[in-house]
Amino acid sequence: MKIALLGIVCLLSACSTAVPLTQSFPEAPTMLMEKCPELKTIVGEKVTIIEFTKTVSENYTTYYQCAGRNEAWIDWYNQQKKIWEDVQ
Amino acid sequence: MQINICMWILHLLPDSLITWIVNLILIAGAVVTAAGFFVRFIPFVNTYRIPVQIAGILLLTTGVYFQGGYTTEMAWRERVAEVEAKLAAAETRSAEVNTEIVTRVVTKTKLVTQRGDDIIRYVDREVVKNQEVIKFVENCPIPEIIINTHNAAALNRPIEEKK
Repeated sequence: MKIALLGIVCLLSACSTAVPLTQSFPEAPTMLMEKCPELKTIVGEKVTIIEFTKTVSENYTTYYQCAGRNEAWIDWYNQQKKIWEDVQ
Repeated sequence: MQINICMWILHLLPDSLITWIVNLILIAGAVVTAAGFFVRFIPFVNTYRIPVQIAGILLLTTGVYFQGGYTTEMAWRERVAEVEAKLAAAETRSAEVNTEIVTRVVTKTKLVTQRGDDIIRYVDREVVKNQEVIKFVENCPIPEIIINTHNAAALNRPIEEKK
């Protein structure tokens, strides 16, 4: 009886279909997830033009490092979006 | 629950076995139906004609139904295989893009850091020895207001005005 019932249920399920596929959006590289560091400030009572120049230079370097990562983020997003859309 | 079990069993079965079972049911249904309606010389069939006809029609209906389900299942399997292949290709391409971008960022960051370090070294090596700079350092300390303004800009904070 149970087998007969199972058979009937199997008959009912003839046209049902399970679609197990899901596409997950890719993980971004951890390097791109790093936050930009804060810029350096000048400390000390008697500050010379030398220290001032060095701090400003270091801050410019920090900016360009961060700008590079930001540029890479944009590029990463655009390329991954195109790959994602091509699958759809 | 039972539907899921049935579908799960169906997914486990190889395609050739499903085809074989479905065709067997369909052919058996057709044969039994034909026998029930048209064969009169076999005594058993002739005696139980109505039950044979019912059994034949049931088998044929089941076979046709399974054939429909099987065709749908195969179409979906084909579609799933196609999407799986696309996904695999996309995942590979995605990983390649990640590697390309990370490599580019590492190279660029290294170059930027190198140039920044070069400038700091230049300041320590050459600028500090420059007579004009030495004279400036001795006579002109940077006013506090300039330092505060720079620090406020660096931290993107409002300037604390001292009156």
